Amino acid sequence: MSASREIIRLENLEKTYFKKSLAVPVLKGINLSIYEGEFNGIMGTSGSGKTTMLNILGLLDVPTGGKYYLDGDEVEHFSDDHLAGLRNRKIGYIFQSFNLSPNLTIGQNIEVPMIYGEIPKRDRVKRAKELAESVGLGHRLNHRPTELSGGECQRTAIARALANKPAYLLADEPTGNLDEKTGEEIMRLFHDLHEQQKVTIVMVTHNPELETQFNRVIRLRDGRVVSGND
Amino acid sequence: MLLRDLYTLSMHNLFLHKIRSFLTSLGIIFGVGSVISMLAISGGAKKEALAQIDAMGIDKIIVYSKAKEQSNTSSSSSTSVLDYGLNYSDQNNILKMENIKRVTTARRLRTPITKGLETLDIELFWVSLHFQEDVNCDVIKGRWLTPSDFENSSTVCVIGRNVKRKIFGLGEKEIVGKTITVGKSNLKVVGVIENKADTKLEGINNLNDSIFIPSTTGVSIFTEYEMIGSISSATIHHVENDLFIVKVDDLEVIDHTAKRISAFMGRAHKTKDWGISVPLNLLRKKEATQNIFTIVMGSIAGISLIVGGIGIMNIMLANVYERRKEIGTRRAIGARKRDILYQFLIETVFLTILGGLLGIGLGIGIAAAITHFSGMPSEVSVISIVGSMAISGIVGIVFGTYPAWKAANENPIKALKAE
Repeated sequence: MSASREIIRLENLEKTYFKKSLAVPVLKGINLSIYEGEFNGIMGTSGSGKTTMLNILGLLDVPTGGKYYLDGDEVEHFSDDHLAGLRNRKIGYIFQSFNLSPNLTIGQNIEVPMIYGEIPKRDRVKRAKELAESVGLGHRLNHRPTELSGGECQRTAIARALANKPAYLLADEPTGNLDEKTGEEIMRLFHDLHEQQKVTIVMVTHNPELETQFNRVIRLRDGRVVSGND
Repeated sequence: MLLRDLYTLSMHNLFLHKIRSFLTSLGIIFGVGSVISMLAISGGAKKEALAQIDAMGIDKIIVYSKAKEQSNTSSSSSTSVLDYGLNYSDQNNILKMENIKRVTTARRLRTPITKGLETLDIELFWVSLHFQEDVNCDVIKGRWLTPSDFENSSTVCVIGRNVKRKIFGLGEKEIVGKTITVGKSNLKVVGVIENKADTKLEGINNLNDSIFIPSTTGVSIFTEYEMIGSISSATIHHVENDLFIVKVDDLEVIDHTAKRISAFMGRAHKTKDWGISVPLNLLRKKEATQNIFTIVMGSIAGISLIVGGIGIMNIMLANVYERRKEIGTRRAIGARKRDILYQFLIETVFLTILGGLLGIGLGIGIAAAITHFSGMPSEVSVISIVGSMAISGIVGIVFGTYPAWKAANENPIKALKAE
C-alpha cells in the first residue's frame, strides 16, 4: 500500500473554533495519510469532528494548526481563488442530498465543474456524455433532476464529481438520503469506480453498516484518530 | 469564463420563474417606458419648433400689423374707416437703423378671392422681391418674381403649391402660363413655390395656399382701401403693409435691434396696431420650456428607475438567500467568489436589460398613443433607445452588485447546510 502515491497527508492537524472568548477545540492533532487507490471510510459519531474533518479535507475550511498536504502541496496558505481551483481540479465532492441544479439538465449538471475549470464547450459536452454513460445515465442526458429518482440523482452527482478527473472523491454520507436498496447500488458504483478505474475515495459516514465496505476505516473520536492510522 | 457559460449556469433560472422575473423587472419596464415616451414627445415638439424656425431662418425679426379693435360704441350703421398697421414710413425708418440688411414686405388682399359664388380658401399677397428667399420657399415650377416684374408692375403671379388644385381642380396639368382672375384683374402664373415646413407666419395662414404678386403691381391694380362687410355696415380698412420680415446683419445683437424697432414703433404708432416677434427668441423660449419639461419628466423617470432598481435588488437578495445551497455547492465544486458574483450579476443585468427592452416597446407604444389621441408630435430617437438600454444595464449593475457580492461571500459551509 505504501508504494502508492500519497494523495493526502495530515500532520498534527488542529481545528479550534472560537465562540466569543471561549476556545472549542474540535480536531486535536490529526496525523493521517491517504494513498492513491484507497477506499477509505472516515467514521465517527456526531461531535467526533467528522464534519469539520470533511470541510477541511474538502478545502472549504482551513485548519488552525498543523499541515495539510494535498497531492504534494501544502494548502494552508493558498488564496481563496487558488483553493477554489484546487477544489475544482483535485477534489470530487459528493453530497448527501445530491445538490444538483434543478434548472439544468443532467448533462449540464455534469458540465458545471468543467465550466469552472474552463474546459472548452465541445470537450465538456463529450466528457459529460461519457461520464453519464459510465454511471448508466446515458439515456438521461437531457432530463432534469426532478425527473430522476434519488439513485439516479446521486449517480449524476458522482459523474459530476469525476468530471475534472480529481485526485480523490470526497463523499459526505452519499447513501444517507437513499433507501437501502438504492444505497447498495450506489455503494456498488463506488466499488466499481475504485476497482476498475482505481479512483481514490474518502467517504465520511456515521453509518456502521458501511464499515465492512471500506478497505480502511479511519475512526474519529473526540477530535482524534483512534484507529485506522497506519 | 465566457458569457455563454454564464448563461448555462444562471439564465435558466430566470425562465424557470417567468412571472417572478417579469414582476421583478416591472419597475424597469415602466421607468424605461416613461423615459422613451417622454423623450419622444419632447423630441417631437423640438423637431416641430425647429422646423418652423428653420423655415424662417433665425436671423429675422418679424413685425406685423394687428387689426385695430372696432369700438362697439360707434354707430353700426355708418361706414367707418379703420386705419392701422405698418406703413411706408415705418419701413423707411427701420431701413435706416443699424444692423438691418433688408426689409421684406407683404400686404394681404382682404377682399375674398372667389370662384363663381364660392369663396376660395386662398389669400393674395403683394410682396417685395426677396420674399420667397426670406420665407424659405422653393420654386418647384417656373420662376419667382423678377426685378423687371417689379419695375413694370407686371400682372404676373407666383402661386403656392396648393393653389392650382383649389382653382383649377386636379385635372389641370400645366399651370405656368395660365391666367388667374382675382377681382377684375387677370394675373399670369409664372411660377409655383412650395413651403415644405408649412410655416405659419404672422398674418399668413399658409404660404402654400397663397398667391404672390409684385408689390408694385399690387399697389396699382388693388387699393390700400378695402371695404369689408355688407353694404349697410361696411368697414373700410386702410393698411399699407401687413408684414415686415427684417433681416439682420449680425445675429449677436438681434435682440438689441428688435428692441430698437419696438421702441421706434411704439413712438410712431399711437395705438398698438402692430406686433413684433423674434423667431430666435421663440426658439430659446421653446427650448427653455422644453428643458424644464425634460428635467421634470427625467426626474420622474429617474425615480421610477431607482424604485425599479431597488425592487430588483430586493428580489435578488431573496433569490440569493433561497439559493444558498446552490451557491455552497458551486463553491465546493470549484466556483471562485467572482464566478458566483458574475453569475448573479449577469442574471440581474439580463433581467434589467430584458425589462429595458419591454420598456422601450411600452414607451414607443405610449408615444404613439399620445400622438394618436392628442395630436402632439413624437419622435423616438435612436439615441434614446440606445441610452435606455445602457441605463437598464447600469441599473442592473448598480442594484445587482450588492446581492451578487453577498452571494459570492456566503460562507460555503453554512451555505451548504441551508435547506
